[in-house]
Amino acid sequence: MSTAAPAAPERPLPTPTRDSQPYWDGMREGRFMLQHCAACGKVRHYPRPVCPHCHSMESRWEAAPLGGKVHTWTVCHHPFNFFFKQAAPYIVALVEMEAGVRVNAPLRGVAEKDLKIGAKVRLAFEPVTKDVTLPYFVVAG
Amino acid sequence: MAHALREKAAISGIGETAYTRGTTKSGLALQLEASLKAIEDAGLKPGDIDGVVPYFPGGGIAEDFIANLGLPDLTLSLFVPMGGATCVAAIQSAAMAVATGVAKNVLISVGRTGYSGARVSARLQQFPQFALAAEFEAPIGMFAPAQLYAQGARRHMELYGTTPRHFAEVAVTTRQHAILNGNVVMNKPLTVEEHHASRMISDPFRLFDCSLESDGGAAVVVSAADRARDLKKPLVTIMGVAEGHPESPASIAQRPDLLDFGLTKAAKRGYDMAGLGPKDIDVAEIYDCFTFTVLRQLEILGFCKTGEGGPFVMDGRIGLGGDLPINTHGGLLSQSHVVGLNHVIELTRQLRREAGKAQVKDAEVGLVTGYGDMGDGSLAILRRAA
Repeated sequence: MSTAAPAAPERPLPTPTRDSQPYWDGMREGRFMLQHCAACGKVRHYPRPVCPHCHSMESRWEAAPLGGKVHTWTVCHHPFNFFFKQAAPYIVALVEMEAGVRVNAPLRGVAEKDLKIGAKVRLAFEPVTKDVTLPYFVVAG
Repeated sequence: MAHALREKAAISGIGETAYTRGTTKSGLALQLEASLKAIEDAGLKPGDIDGVVPYFPGGGIAEDFIANLGLPDLTLSLFVPMGGATCVAAIQSAAMAVATGVAKNVLISVGRTGYSGARVSARLQQFPQFALAAEFEAPIGMFAPAQLYAQGARRHMELYGTTPRHFAEVAVTTRQHAILNGNVVMNKPLTVEEHHASRMISDPFRLFDCSLESDGGAAVVVSAADRARDLKKPLVTIMGVAEGHPESPASIAQRPDLLDFGLTKAAKRGYDMAGLGPKDIDVAEIYDCFTFTVLRQLEILGFCKTGEGGPFVMDGRIGLGGDLPINTHGGLLSQSHVVGLNHVIELTRQLRREAGKAQVKDAEVGLVTGYGDMGDGSLAILRRAA
């Protein structure tokens, strides 16, 4: 009879597309890269091929500031994916970044009772595999 | 001038399987079982069906309907991939088809094995509409609708003072209605205290704020109104119907206003087409994937102002005998999750005056909504024809 523990559930990982690859490359390098229209300059996130404002298909990628403010949040208790069972309950904050787009990521180091809209946070980087780095937030000091 | 589609189509037949937790039948079999009942209810034969809108993805395809029902000449096969907004939006497509003569009788159906088959997070992996959530949010621990929609609910609470007590009122009232129906998964009374004590799923949503994972099938037939008049049940016509897609349709996170749904656009178009407004509605079946989703839709539909959805549902207003009875069958929260086609069926029953113990007295005009994916919306306003 085998006494081996069941295999640990695997973390769901992003599958970068041709449009989003520069974002994930940036994460791995510790930079928050955002797509800007090469014609009108407007930022867009999540990445996509066409600027919805001027319809240019040319874009450039720029490193964006890491600061932002809490727009809202949830506290995940039920592990819909068993990988997250150990971490639950965990806070996921939706943050309005200084660049004008939002990022959804775990917010660490703050108690649930202290959460409020507008709280200042800072994006940080957590390598989870050789190729993939994911964002998380800490309270801005 | 009246809208070209107003009262040109009717819900001619309705059918449902038993709603259960646990079945050995496939989703396709459930869908076909409900379809045969709906066709019979309409006074039609299976061969009269010439249009199909199966639920996508995960239901059958047109080929399955031709092969199983022996359809001799299908003229229309459609998918409407809008998650929970699918069924009511499909009524718009079906109404267009029967009003123009492209088809005579269009079948809309859903079959789900939400309890005995794959659960919600696994099912949604198949949805192209969830691709952005899968890439950007699943890796950080957010993917299920309970998690994605919870952030909007939390923002509503912080901005407007909405409370878990308001959520509980929706859950408890819906359960009271389910108990009157008979064909429901949840048939025991629910108290506010039990709601508050149920386990947290994704704050602010507790277990009893969430819709069911259940097994079942549902179907409706849409026919041209002039033809349906000759069929065997009281005529229920489609006064208004519309679908709406919000800004940033595949990502709630990037939507400028998290509390803006596709229903904002659909409601205006649906009311305009019907030539009716919130004051004309006798009964409403509101898509209830979560308790909060009901509160917010009541605001968007104009039954109350933004921020007032919580207080609006209190004091019996949404129960039978109240100003606006809602989800008189028990909804997705207590009857069954068949993607809201059960809401269309219940509204049709109400207007036919076939709703039994849950009958809203003298119901003439009713409204049904759909809400799905990242906030797609749909609305139909039905009327009992004179």
